[in-house]
Amino acid sequence: MKKRDRRIAVGGLVAIALTTAAWGGSSKSSTAQASSASASRGALEIAIFHTYSGANAAYGPEAAAGCFPAQKLINAAGGVLGQQLQCTPVDAKGDPADSVPAANRLIASSSSLVGVLGGGSTDATAVVPLFQQAKIPIFSTTGQDSFDHSTASYFWRILAPDGAQGNAMAAGAKKLGYSKVATLFGNDAAAQGSAPTAISGAKRLHLTLTASQTLAIGQPSYRSEVQQLTAGNPQAIITEADPQTSATYFAELSQLGRIPVLITDPVSQEPTWRTAVGGAIGKALLDKQDYAVVAYSPPTTLAYRTYTAALVASSTQVPQPAQWDADLYSVADYDSVVIMALAMDAAHTTKPSVYNGFITKVTSPSSGAVVVHTYAAGKAALAKGQHIQYVGAVGPTVFDRWHNSGQGFAIERFANGKWTVTTLLTAAEIRAAAGG
Amino acid sequence: MEVFISAVGFGVVTASLLAISAVGFTLQFSVTNVLNLAFGSVMTGSGFIAYGLNSSGMNIWLAMIIAALCGGVISVLMNTLLYGPFVRHGMTLFGMVIVTISTAVISDHIIEAAVGPSFFSYNAPAGKALHFADFLLTRQDLTIIGIAALVTLVTQLTLQHTRLGKSMRGLSVNASLARACGIPTRRVVTLAWFGSGVMAGLGGVALFLETSTFSATTGSDFLIVIIAAAVVGGIGSARGAVLGALVVGIVTEVGAAYWDPQLKDVLAFAVLIVVLLVRPQGLFSQLSTERVVVG
Repeated sequence: MKKRDRRIAVGGLVAIALTTAAWGGSSKSSTAQASSASASRGALEIAIFHTYSGANAAYGPEAAAGCFPAQKLINAAGGVLGQQLQCTPVDAKGDPADSVPAANRLIASSSSLVGVLGGGSTDATAVVPLFQQAKIPIFSTTGQDSFDHSTASYFWRILAPDGAQGNAMAAGAKKLGYSKVATLFGNDAAAQGSAPTAISGAKRLHLTLTASQTLAIGQPSYRSEVQQLTAGNPQAIITEADPQTSATYFAELSQLGRIPVLITDPVSQEPTWRTAVGGAIGKALLDKQDYAVVAYSPPTTLAYRTYTAALVASSTQVPQPAQWDADLYSVADYDSVVIMALAMDAAHTTKPSVYNGFITKVTSPSSGAVVVHTYAAGKAALAKGQHIQYVGAVGPTVFDRWHNSGQGFAIERFANGKWTVTTLLTAAEIRAAAGG
Repeated sequence: MEVFISAVGFGVVTASLLAISAVGFTLQFSVTNVLNLAFGSVMTGSGFIAYGLNSSGMNIWLAMIIAALCGGVISVLMNTLLYGPFVRHGMTLFGMVIVTISTAVISDHIIEAAVGPSFFSYNAPAGKALHFADFLLTRQDLTIIGIAALVTLVTQLTLQHTRLGKSMRGLSVNASLARACGIPTRRVVTLAWFGSGVMAGLGGVALFLETSTFSATTGSDFLIVIIAAAVVGGIGSARGAVLGALVVGIVTEVGAAYWDPQLKDVLAFAVLIVVLLVRPQGLFSQLSTERVVVG
């Protein structure tokens, strides 16, 4: 019996070690395998360096919903300089303690890596310097203000930073006609990026702040906070918090009072957020009360229609693709891959350190530049020796000297299974919130 | 004053959530000395079983009972197939902590692989809060408080007045002596794991009802607070776990009402440290200091 137990114990330990290694190191092995496979086929690798496990496990699939449609269209157009493009999921795990070694492994193990989608709010400050040092362009979705004036030449950000988002949310509350508002943000880095400007914007616009709460995320209850908030009787809540926290808070708010209008940001357009909060308070009530202030990307453009068609056709790599078609982060990641591919074509090389300098050359408006909305059109124009400006699914991407771009903002509502623009926020309205 | 009373009421609800799980956690630990950090995974697994039953139309409270029994079975299997061989092989207390952490990581990933990276909600609306003097509680809150009280009472009575309880207490004090006295240790340990798993299941479903939404990692995310409640009360004591849960629950809610809400955890853990400074063994600990794992 003792011998058998020993065998079981040793076997169990080995099984645990192997399974843990398999899970924990899945990103490593998958990356390495993908890299060697890619290298053997001569494919160019774009790493989807996002979170695939834990509480934020949806971030990876969200970025994949942008990368794989771009891969499909680029390869259908003959690839980049004759080479196929390959999107490779790599689990960054969202925590710098895990994402830094994962980034180092990725850089060391992949000789065909030409670009990265990654660097969220929780780990961008840790991993961007690594890709900068390796001279690999990284298109990030972080909203952190610390990147507003980043000198990292390989860092690129398509979506507006959190500071601008906060101002737009305050401007959105004003535009919708609310004068008594409360602010409600999680205490994580992602939510805290837009909190200061949402609060300062509301004050500048002379809105009455009935409460300004910062929530410890992931608590079993927020009833005391909810009671404080309801005492002020706000007409609207300007809010960003993770799905779990938002769902618990708003469920308790509906039990103890009523849910006023919610002024949210692109996070509320993520399927996981809507599933969590919709499940907690009811989808109909959420749809009725939610006004999402998001970067404006007209859904009727050729670029957007091209993206959604490719997304639907990518169902083998992107399960339930339709859930991502209005997700701004997915759309931005799609544009990021197309921009990298066009920059390689323009530079006549796939070498990251060279094509990085051509990214602004395919996105900036200039006299004589042909405006293109798809990779195929851009590639054809470049082949004719023309200058191009890619205007993608998120609209024009015009990078400033710190490689930040940003769009106008719109207020959107979810009705009949899709997001529709209620109204646009003008530059003057957002400037008023920003104090500019 | 009204705010304070409301906050205390909210704290009692939070405490009830913690107490159900903390009692289960401490019961199993007191008997086996295995610090089972995969306890949160059992909560999550049971929560998803209840979700499956509830989604197919079953009443949530009936689903909770079935899920709790499944939690007991999962817990027993976890010990029999995984922990037991390690314990019999002479694994140290610290070694077992590593094994249980590994089990938790693996279990959470398996659940995530099975259900996907999404969020889920039971079809069980809590309804509007009702006024009881200055307390604001939903019917769901009252039911969970009742479950917590019942779990604590049954556990306490079992430990104090039944042969099984006496065997468990004997085992927790000195396993070798208990074995020498003829206590069927293997059976008692198995029942302790089963009871702990049942409470993990009840605690998991209750927690997911209160948070209104849950994912593959929600149970594990709350484990640290559950352990904190058990430690404040004194690891190994059911009534200590309840008292610890009350301290943690009420301090966090009153703290959120009068202080910065984002620091509610800080306040709760500060209280934990103060309690442990005054009474390092916790408020009601009954454990001996020389401990070995029992399988």
